[in-house]
Amino acid sequence: MNLLFIRTIEGRILAGITMFVGMMILVGWVAINEEARMQAFVQQHTGRSIERGAELFASLCSECHGEEGYGAGDRAPGLNNPHLFGYDPVGLQTAAVTNANRALVRLNKSVDGLLAELTDSEEPPSEERQNEIVAAIADLEAQIEEQNMAIAGTVAERIAILESLDTAVNNGLFPLWDTVVDIEQTGDNEIEVFFNTNGTRLAQVGWAGDLQGYIVTTLIHGRPGSARVYPNSTGMAAWSQTAGGPLRQDQIEDLAAYILNWDKGAGWTTEDFIAVAQYGKPLADGSLPSEPPPPPAGDNVEGILQRWQAEEVIGSAVSGELLYDQEFGCTDCHRDGASAPDTIGTAARIRDERLTLPQFADYTLEQYLVESITRPGDYVVDGYSSGLMPVNFGARMTDQQLADIVAFLLTQ
Amino acid sequence: MTILPFPSFLDDVKEKGFKKAVFEGIDDSVERLTAGLNVQDLREAFRGETASRRPNPRLTPHADGFWLHMRPSYFNRDVTGMYPTFRLGWLSSYFVFFETITGILLMLWYTPSPEIAYGDMLTILSNVPLGQLMRDMHRLGAEFMVAVVAMHMMRTWITGSYKKPRQFTWFTGLLLLVITGFLSFSGYLLPWDQLSLWAVTIGASMAEATPVVGEQVNLLLRGAPELGANGLLRFYLLHVLALPALLFVFFGVHYYKVVIHGHSLPPQKENIGEDTAKRVPLDKRVYFIPDMLTYEMMWLGATTFIITVLCIWFYHAPLENHADPQVTPLGTTAPWYFLWIQGALKLGDKFFWGVAFPTIALGGLALLPYLDVTPSRRYAHRRFMLTIASLLISVTTILSYMGLAKFAVQTSAETEIVHELTFEPAHSKVGIGRTIPFDQMIVGAYSTAQLHYADDMAASDALAAINAEVSANGQFDQMIQELKDQHVGANQLPLRFRAIPAAEAPTLMRVMEEFAHHLEAEPKELPNVWGALVITDNQGSLKRLDWIVSWDSVLIEGGEVQTDEAGDPILVYSDQVDAAGNPIPVRRIFSDHLFIHEASAYFD
Repeated sequence: MNLLFIRTIEGRILAGITMFVGMMILVGWVAINEEARMQAFVQQHTGRSIERGAELFASLCSECHGEEGYGAGDRAPGLNNPHLFGYDPVGLQTAAVTNANRALVRLNKSVDGLLAELTDSEEPPSEERQNEIVAAIADLEAQIEEQNMAIAGTVAERIAILESLDTAVNNGLFPLWDTVVDIEQTGDNEIEVFFNTNGTRLAQVGWAGDLQGYIVTTLIHGRPGSARVYPNSTGMAAWSQTAGGPLRQDQIEDLAAYILNWDKGAGWTTEDFIAVAQYGKPLADGSLPSEPPPPPAGDNVEGILQRWQAEEVIGSAVSGELLYDQEFGCTDCHRDGASAPDTIGTAARIRDERLTLPQFADYTLEQYLVESITRPGDYVVDGYSSGLMPVNFGARMTDQQLADIVAFLLTQ
Repeated sequence: MTILPFPSFLDDVKEKGFKKAVFEGIDDSVERLTAGLNVQDLREAFRGETASRRPNPRLTPHADGFWLHMRPSYFNRDVTGMYPTFRLGWLSSYFVFFETITGILLMLWYTPSPEIAYGDMLTILSNVPLGQLMRDMHRLGAEFMVAVVAMHMMRTWITGSYKKPRQFTWFTGLLLLVITGFLSFSGYLLPWDQLSLWAVTIGASMAEATPVVGEQVNLLLRGAPELGANGLLRFYLLHVLALPALLFVFFGVHYYKVVIHGHSLPPQKENIGEDTAKRVPLDKRVYFIPDMLTYEMMWLGATTFIITVLCIWFYHAPLENHADPQVTPLGTTAPWYFLWIQGALKLGDKFFWGVAFPTIALGGLALLPYLDVTPSRRYAHRRFMLTIASLLISVTTILSYMGLAKFAVQTSAETEIVHELTFEPAHSKVGIGRTIPFDQMIVGAYSTAQLHYADDMAASDALAAINAEVSANGQFDQMIQELKDQHVGANQLPLRFRAIPAAEAPTLMRVMEEFAHHLEAEPKELPNVWGALVITDNQGSLKRLDWIVSWDSVLIEGGEVQTDEAGDPILVYSDQVDAAGNPIPVRRIFSDHLFIHEASAYFD
């Protein structure tokens, strides 16, 4: 402590100057190393961002996109997917063939030149020169043969790779399968043609920006169309808070960082293509998902009731209960009568209260329920707000599901 | 004559010659800048000689200059040593300016908006040269400032310097202490990370307990029921505008009072009831110029040097994950200087301990000089007040300890243990589970049960026994189901436990030992326990670590494990029986997981 009370003025001045100079040297030393430190920080931060993205992916995305990002059957595309990252499985072979073809053109040109010289009638070459030319042409022909052999080999290799991808294609690697089927009619190797026009997911969807932008945008806004390609998909939701979802922007970026971290660059293999499991992947029992899903019930009440009669659709209260509670989450609102009529007592309430109203005079219980589910806006019970119940249940339910739910409600 | 309408330097040159004119010009400028000291005077002063001119030019800057008119021109030799001031007042002032300067620099890169604030912190750390150093210094300076100001107060109490005529000086000092606390606290929120959001949420919720106005105060402070964009903006404005303005106002008043009454002498140096601070005998005078000035310049250099060294090698301001109101981290506490209130809150009534008690305590402090009106400042005559002082220090320390998360907060043992192993970096500490080097995270499932087998048993035999046991009693299947529920890929699920590769992965082994050690320490809450660590590949550069705790369910009532007469915990049995007809206890399982990226470098 006495150090702080150096008794001579010059001692204090010297000590003070030393400290200041020492501090400046330290700060200078830190400044010199800042570049490296900041780089290390960026790396470390990216790593941690990927970790957080992994956590979000596991809890929010893995259900549809698969725990390992290979996609989950008929619900959503694989993201751990060479196609997404623009990997061309026959890129090397294509390049080799192109190079060989260029060499062929060159060789043929040389042969043509020599032949022209040989057959020049105005200025016929000397005998010695003729022999030279013949020898050179024979040499060139040998080279051409060699190149042709090489091309044939590479082409065979390429075909083998593309054939091995058949499995992947059958597994639904390329969701827009109808495009591929169209190509099949033309007789070309459909996968190759497909690669030429749809080499990457970005090209396929006509995205002009880069991959990160594509992923971030899809995460923020969700995307339409998924339900068409993936029949069992509930659609890609809008995940960002800016679009009404639950995630903050930094979380969206974490997720994108995690997805981009699947990129293997040049390290992708055809096995990776095959690992992807999208629409059409054989189900656990080995069968392919065969028929397209049954059409939705729609909101034409008359039509639904007629179809039920014609197709003898019988509802099951047991499966109806599951659908009601879980699949469609009806009990989220219909539980205590606060925001929507209580589930308990539905049948009695309709029979004793609603159907006595003049506008429901000729209604059956089923009819009232079907209308309430598929066209909830047509009539709202007094005391409850209109517009609360989603109007798209008709589009989300099949005839059978609707019948199950009605059967369940009639038991309540 | 010059062409200019006033005498110029050129006239001087003409008249006196170049050299003399330059020297006199410099001399003149120096005298103006120092408000009274010319080059010769400075030279004499810094050589320790007596002034050769009369009247003493070293007093002129105090009389004529703006800056030094605030400082006394001489001190009593008895107060210039370490004792009795310990330089704490000087240090407090130092930190006021230090924090202002570093704070203004940080403001250049900061936007008070929840969308951007955290990103700004990352920018400061990743893209601003010396940004990290600046942030560390500002943060460390803030912590020091609170501590120094509090110690300054205790010193004043102990030396009895609050007594007449310095009662009001004490009061303004107390205001400065409170302002300092709030300044530091309001700055806590600005990084907008988990640490700041939750520390401030806890701190601000104390205000809620105030009757009648509590809710309104809270709403005013946070701008909404929960901390959000408005709250951040308000805390920012408090931090950079309102509180500093108040601080400077009361700092001015406080220091003016200090100068006007003089620095109080050590108690034994003056007669009881007298205050002789302003009457400094000639032989006791230590002049500001040059003695105190050189002292202060030296301390300035020394303190800044020490802080620089600390911030380069020993201290880095924490930055946790982005603030998330949905995720409450385990073990959240208020900032350390408010821990005593948090500790007091655990004693009972929220209003009494959270609001009334601190108010009474601060009110008591404010009134101290008016309550203790005994004339003597001698230690021997102030046994009662000194006892109160040490009581105050002890009580605050104990309450602060009670404010810690580990004191009297019921968390189930399994949660606590896994958290202890895996917590994210905070306060220069990190869960040991994160420190396993990336190449030592060898894919596989490892069980702590392996560590309980005798040393002479071959690891393979021990494992075979463990695997046979957990697969027979269904505990392994339970773990697999848990992993599935936690979204571990179907291809990644382990088939059996593997031997911990102690040779290739010594750190992994150490972590497993630590895990086992923690589990063993809870025989009551976690009977027949085993823990497992399941490491799986997630991406090429990313591993997933699942931590599992499996134990027999025990009867817990009112947060306490129920025990039988022998002191063993009472198990909860299922309605199934084993082959021998004995009931099988309900088996419980807990899991948590984390992802570790190769570049995250928790292990450096």
